[in-house]
Amino acid sequence: MAEISEAPSTSNLDTGFDPETMRKSMPGLKRLSLALTVLFSFLLGLPFLLKSIAIYRSPLPFREIDDLSTAIESSPILFPCHFRAVFVDFDPNSYTADQLSISVQAHMAKLAAKNSPTCVTCASNFTVYVTLDSNSNCISNWNNVDWNCGALNEFRFADKRDDGLLDEYLESVFDDNRNGKVYTVVVVKTEEEEVRAVVGKYRHAWIMEEGLIPGEFKPVGADGRIVLSFNLLNADPRNWIYDWDFQEIDENLLAPIIEALKPLADVSVESQVLYHTPKSSLSFWDAKLDSYIFSTKDLPFFANSNEWHLDTSVAAGGRSKILQFVVYVPSAKECPLRLQLPNGEISTTNGFISPMWGGIVVWNPSACLTDSKIKHPLRHKISPEESRKVFEVFMGQLRQLFGLKSDGLFVGASGTSALLASERGFSEWELDVLSRQHSCFNLLQCGTTLGSLSRLVQSLPRMIIMDDIGKQGKYSLEAAKLTLSNASLGIYDASAESSRQARLLAEDAFYHPSMMSVGYFSFEHCFAVYSPFFLPVSLHVLLAVLREWKRHKQESKKYKAWKANVASFSY
Amino acid sequence: MGIRESIFLLFLILISTYESFAKEGLAEELNEEFTEGLLLRPLPDRKVLAHFHFQSSVPPTRTYGRHHHLFPKSIYQLVNKFRVREMELSFTQGRWNYESWGGYDPISSNNAKPPGVELWADFDVPLDQVDASWKNLTHALSGLFCASINFLEHSTSYSAPQWSFHSFAGKLRYGTLPREAVCTENLTPWLKLLPCRDKAGLSALMDRPSIYRGYYHSQRLHLTSDEFDAVKSNSGIMLEQTLTVVLQPSTLEARAMVSVKTLQPSWSLSSLFGRKVHGRCSVSKSSNVYVQFEQNLVSELKEMWKESEGSESGILIHDDFWTNPIFEMSASPHRVVKEVGNLQQEDSSILYEFLVEDYNDSEPFDLGLRWKLPVAWLCQQAPLRASRFLMGSGNERGAIAISLKSSGINNTQRVGCSEKGSLLSIDIFQVVPWYVKVYYHTLKVFIDGELQSTMENIENMHVSPSEDKVSPGVMEMILRLPCGVKTAALTLEFDKGFLHIDEYPPDANQGFDIPSAVVSFTDFQASIGFEDNFLNKLPILNELQERKHVICYTEVLLVPLTTPDFSMPYNVITITCTVFALYFGSLLNALRRRVGEEERLLKSKAAKKKGPLTSLLSKLFAKLTGRPVNPPETPSASPSFIDYKLIVKVILVAGMAVKLFRSSFQLN
Repeated sequence: MAEISEAPSTSNLDTGFDPETMRKSMPGLKRLSLALTVLFSFLLGLPFLLKSIAIYRSPLPFREIDDLSTAIESSPILFPCHFRAVFVDFDPNSYTADQLSISVQAHMAKLAAKNSPTCVTCASNFTVYVTLDSNSNCISNWNNVDWNCGALNEFRFADKRDDGLLDEYLESVFDDNRNGKVYTVVVVKTEEEEVRAVVGKYRHAWIMEEGLIPGEFKPVGADGRIVLSFNLLNADPRNWIYDWDFQEIDENLLAPIIEALKPLADVSVESQVLYHTPKSSLSFWDAKLDSYIFSTKDLPFFANSNEWHLDTSVAAGGRSKILQFVVYVPSAKECPLRLQLPNGEISTTNGFISPMWGGIVVWNPSACLTDSKIKHPLRHKISPEESRKVFEVFMGQLRQLFGLKSDGLFVGASGTSALLASERGFSEWELDVLSRQHSCFNLLQCGTTLGSLSRLVQSLPRMIIMDDIGKQGKYSLEAAKLTLSNASLGIYDASAESSRQARLLAEDAFYHPSMMSVGYFSFEHCFAVYSPFFLPVSLHVLLAVLREWKRHKQESKKYKAWKANVASFSY
Repeated sequence: MGIRESIFLLFLILISTYESFAKEGLAEELNEEFTEGLLLRPLPDRKVLAHFHFQSSVPPTRTYGRHHHLFPKSIYQLVNKFRVREMELSFTQGRWNYESWGGYDPISSNNAKPPGVELWADFDVPLDQVDASWKNLTHALSGLFCASINFLEHSTSYSAPQWSFHSFAGKLRYGTLPREAVCTENLTPWLKLLPCRDKAGLSALMDRPSIYRGYYHSQRLHLTSDEFDAVKSNSGIMLEQTLTVVLQPSTLEARAMVSVKTLQPSWSLSSLFGRKVHGRCSVSKSSNVYVQFEQNLVSELKEMWKESEGSESGILIHDDFWTNPIFEMSASPHRVVKEVGNLQQEDSSILYEFLVEDYNDSEPFDLGLRWKLPVAWLCQQAPLRASRFLMGSGNERGAIAISLKSSGINNTQRVGCSEKGSLLSIDIFQVVPWYVKVYYHTLKVFIDGELQSTMENIENMHVSPSEDKVSPGVMEMILRLPCGVKTAALTLEFDKGFLHIDEYPPDANQGFDIPSAVVSFTDFQASIGFEDNFLNKLPILNELQERKHVICYTEVLLVPLTTPDFSMPYNVITITCTVFALYFGSLLNALRRRVGEEERLLKSKAAKKKGPLTSLLSKLFAKLTGRPVNPPETPSASPSFIDYKLIVKVILVAGMAVKLFRSSFQLN
């Protein structure tokens, strides 16, 4: 039907019909429609094929992840901090509570602006309540203040200058069982000129000092665990062998600290004694100081990774963090060994820290024997007093590793301020700071991990993503949101906990074993399998459609030409 | 808060005081201990055996606490985390030569190990957790020793022997990796477990090139723990580390003396290892070196002594017996220890003891042994020499044969075999991977070349057939052989299985290993008893005295399996797709054809011009089909011609496409 019919030759002359350029019948559509049907059925089948070869990808909330990570990066979480200033024995007429409050706030804002590392969590989100207490007349700018007027009258400042006692007394005055945590500053007017500021172990202080070393908070493993590994290194056991009673140290000195750090991290302790572990840097004899000296320049080379097989531990499997604490007992050749500070002084602790790695203390045996030719060295034990000293240094180092001041006493801008250390090594307000920073850091980390996860997943479209990963991502997001809401309410412990959870889940998702498997079905692979069929076939189909289309156009032109011809002849 | 804290502190104090009381109540001697020892023994084939032995022990955690001064932290954590009751891990390179290095003494029974890695462990966990513990342990050890022990994680690569190997009520797992290459990266972590590593003491001798130049080296780690036993009187964890090497002394002197055939090479520590001992490891309790002369060597020496001096017992009584006409030692031994309790033989082996603590940096310890007269002797052999081989050819089936040959005259007269008609019992344990499908019903037993009925000679047999891709086949049997047996053989037929394409290792054409079988002679005890009781305190001598069965390992078998052409799946895909594409293309073209129009076109073309090529082709076609040459005008011929042309085109296109894809795939 659609073919060019044999034109009757008789009519050719009459009508001017030219078989080369004209035709009388309509060009047929049968073959064209056939070719098109085949093409379209192929196109229709394509989604099914893609579906059948699709790999399983659990849906990840990409949008929300991106929102979270940008939100966290642009504005780190802020905890509301409440400060309460109690001015005792001040004249209520000279100041009003509101005035004082404003001036304190302005001053604190200035302080906060001075140092702004990534995770200062109270930066500008604080409220200040001021109470003026003068002989049981209380003026306050906040109604709910539960400051017991005249409470301090019973406590005679002038007589008792024991900071610790006052601290305990204040703790008994303030009930800390309210939900919000309030930092109290008690300013006492005394006759003396000197201004003393004491920051207590509870959440109150006599005069608050800004005494934190700004720094990144990191030494907690991704799974929220820290292993404290204590190592006693005998550089050369041929000279002397020192031993310690770690069991006792563990029970008496370390257990309270572990208890104190519980909300931050799951801490475990292990110990070992190693022998034949020389340091790798050199020290020189200083006759004036009568000792061998190593300077701060040598510190990067002090730890000898070839010989100090401190090792990781089985207990620290996975992603927990190990902090190594090393007691280095020098050999007779370099005894006594002392650390010289850049200003030429000898370090009092004789130790140093390496951030994220741990700390080293050089412990010199009391009698540095010059005679190294003892045939069979005796085993000595480090005395309990000595080991207590060493562990106090370690405590300072641990505090430093956590980003706090290492020592209890320091000279501030306004005279002397003493930080009272509790027996647990960390005072409550320090733990608050740590948990705030911890939550903030965890949240940051969680944001970046989830961000990289979503980028990775999006960049590898043919990677299998298990349900577990999707779920972990979702839960991590939820935990992160919970952290944010807890943080805005000022619940420190809960937000630390949920931020830990968020980070753990995010890391779990990122390091899921299936993410690293080779089982991902590459696009090249898919191409190699399907192309031997689809390429030749699609070539045929496309060519057929093209040819038929061209032909159809050509033939319809011919038909039109004939029509025009007929029309011209008839008129 | 404060009250809670103080209560906690009080509690702690209470606990600590209680514990200190508890500690005082126990014996004071409970402490960590470390000892080191080295045993040297001249071998009949002009080689020297050096056996290092280190032992660390720690009292149980219950009384001693979890902090240690000597014991390696990692091993302690391993034991506690996986609740290991006993474990042995060995890394071996080379094969122990049972004929010339001995097969009847404690060293060969304990330290001759199959090539590669062998690991067995017994756990103190509920039965359903044993496999999980094993898997975790393999991973931990793999990290600890820089080896691919984690390959033992798959259930196809380990087995649970019921009673033959070491029976521990089904909680023991056993696995081997015959192809593991052993080198310094495995030795270094092993040395890290020693308190002095290789910095001081006897381990300072371990010069890597010297050790790995040897004919055989096997490092072993054996630990026993009764930490988790309910019984109060337990001994804690004991870690035993041994390194056994067989070295060829290569001194100039020895080379010069090669012409005198039977003269044994003289050696010293420095010529064997290239190092000397500069004193003991300062934390070790004892540090001794022993030179052992075997029983047969001693009797040979006595013989020679008798010839030269006339007095028989002079060799042992004489004051300067270490410098005698036959041999000479460079240092005087601290003590001579004689074997006792060997009633069968009149001669017994001798140990010369040297104390390393007498030496120091200025006067290092360098023990030497110089032979003055040629001596020849033979080592003591196990009653039967076991070997294993493959039979059959081709890629389809074969047979495994274990042959046991009597090793000599003297051995059949040993314990339990003195009377006629008594039987020798032999324990065989063999693990076969699942792809070697052993038919256990085809087991045949030949004794002195004659086929026996199997049931007569097998006292007990336990078989767990392999399950494809799940578990290996395990065979445990106790064989009873008459004492006077010359040869005995066991054969088992097998079919070779097929592996999935993903399961082949990268070097599939090399073949697959069947791990060594363990043959133990339960009637025979390999132990050397010593006269002094206080010697029991020295772990290296303890090891020699321990009463254990004589054990030997057979060869590893290499089975070639059919390896497929690994590109085959792609070839199949490609050819199938090509066929489909061809069919589809031609169908589409056939549907699109316009026969009438083509005919007309051809007609008009032919009218104009008849090309030489087309006529030639049509002629050729006509010849092929046997029809007369039709003029191109004939309508019947032209469509078929066009059709062929079309098909040729299609094939060309398809072929090109296929070629393109093959090449693209190969690039992949």
